[in-house]
Amino acid sequence: MAASESSRYLARSLPRAFVPTARPQGFCLRRNVSDQASSKAAPADLNELESASSLTSTTLSEATAKSFDPIARTKARKKQLPRSRYQFRSPKYDRGPLHPHQPPPPSDPSSRLYVPGPFSLPRVEQTYQSTVASDILTLCYVHNPPGFKPPPKAPRLRSWDDSSPYHKNRPLRGPRGGDVLRLLRKPINFNNVPQLERITIHSYVKQAAQENSSWLHVAGMAVQAISNARVETFKSKTSVATWSIAPGRDTVAVKAELRGEDMLHFFGKLVDVVMPRIKDWEGVKGSSGDSSGNITFGLEPENVALFPEIEVNYDMYPPKMIPGCHITIHTSAKTDKDARLLLSAMGIPFYGKMVD
Amino acid sequence: MTLSIPLRRSAVTAARVQTSTTFICSQCRHATLLRRPKRPYTFTQLITLSDGSAFTHRTTSPAPVYRSTRDTRNSLLWNPSSSKLMNVEEDEAGRLAAFRAKFGRSWDANTPTEAEASKKAEQPDKEAEAAARAAAEEEEDNLLDLITFMYSTSYHLVEIPALRVRASR
Repeated sequence: MAASESSRYLARSLPRAFVPTARPQGFCLRRNVSDQASSKAAPADLNELESASSLTSTTLSEATAKSFDPIARTKARKKQLPRSRYQFRSPKYDRGPLHPHQPPPPSDPSSRLYVPGPFSLPRVEQTYQSTVASDILTLCYVHNPPGFKPPPKAPRLRSWDDSSPYHKNRPLRGPRGGDVLRLLRKPINFNNVPQLERITIHSYVKQAAQENSSWLHVAGMAVQAISNARVETFKSKTSVATWSIAPGRDTVAVKAELRGEDMLHFFGKLVDVVMPRIKDWEGVKGSSGDSSGNITFGLEPENVALFPEIEVNYDMYPPKMIPGCHITIHTSAKTDKDARLLLSAMGIPFYGKMVD
Repeated sequence: MTLSIPLRRSAVTAARVQTSTTFICSQCRHATLLRRPKRPYTFTQLITLSDGSAFTHRTTSPAPVYRSTRDTRNSLLWNPSSSKLMNVEEDEAGRLAAFRAKFGRSWDANTPTEAEASKKAEQPDKEAEAAARAAAEEEEDNLLDLITFMYSTSYHLVEIPALRVRASR
């Protein structure tokens, strides 16, 4: 028994030793300058390689050059070329990550979620790239002499002093003076200059719950007209007894979220055309903002009616149903101060006490 | 062994035939419909600002050109230093000013005219400069006073200059 087993192991182990390894041991392509050039050169036969390079011009016969006329050939064609036989159609449903038939990513033009664009370079973007970004970078520059080391900061989350045995294994304490852990503001650098991220237009129509849904339809149309984007509707989350609004029952709000090109066009026309026409408007209140770089302000219904898209077709909207809206500008700034710097550089006036 | 092979083959073919003939519409509960995003039709519009500058943007409004009468170029909020946009009455001959001097009341008498407004725009800087200079001089005087006094007196009278400075203020 023992003898047979040993022989079996031997039989298994023997061929492994005799198999030639894939990588020759002694052959190494690494060379140093001190080495002899020829001593380590690859022994491959170079005679098989062609000596002529493809970069040198090859002579083309006159006849072939004359006959090559793709435009004429296209024009001479009577019928359209048949389309490619295989056209991929994205599945209509996403059936989860384990399903064999996966939809393509939304960036793929064949995807059902694909949104083409951008088709234009908005003026706001050009202004931002050419002047605003560099101005902000200059304004936020803090000079530190060489060799400067910032003083070490206390940790944002404090540890418990082990005065009580119950402090063991507790999660860390929150910051002093409130439990809110604010965003970390990093020094503004060439690659984190604050910029616009998205704009949210939100309109709460209480009459949609009190009277009928036409208020919501008109609000949705108006917001879509001014924003170039489809709106979403939302149900109320809170109960407002005086307006007879119950949570989860009444659809009361309309929201459009703008990104990229739409956002920049909207911002441009808001600043250049609409804001100057608002009667007795001082600007955006300096205390607005959520202290993490997003700034909100409101427009009254008569101000929303000043948008050129609504003005051009003013009769379409029932005058009393034009909604007011809240516009939130989300920036990549981490504090309200930076966000306000960005927005005032891009043309939004602020007034009153600036709260940072 | 040899018997089982043909049996299995027949079973396999039967199954294949079945799957090819019957259309199985399996229900899948965890399927989310991929809705095609809806986008409103947009047009390219030329916006002409009041000073003649123009730019294009994409809007839902079908008008090709939008001429604005009131925008950032001619509103006071965006041009706070422009005397043209300021609400100042034109009074070249000075008749309004003369009338006000004769009949005006206190609130009426000091309404700024165009010239005054432009003068005021320049003046605050000078005034502020003068005030700053005066303040600086005063402070220097005080400090010099303090130093000379301190040098002149002996050290056991240190409290006195502070008192004196406070009194002078």
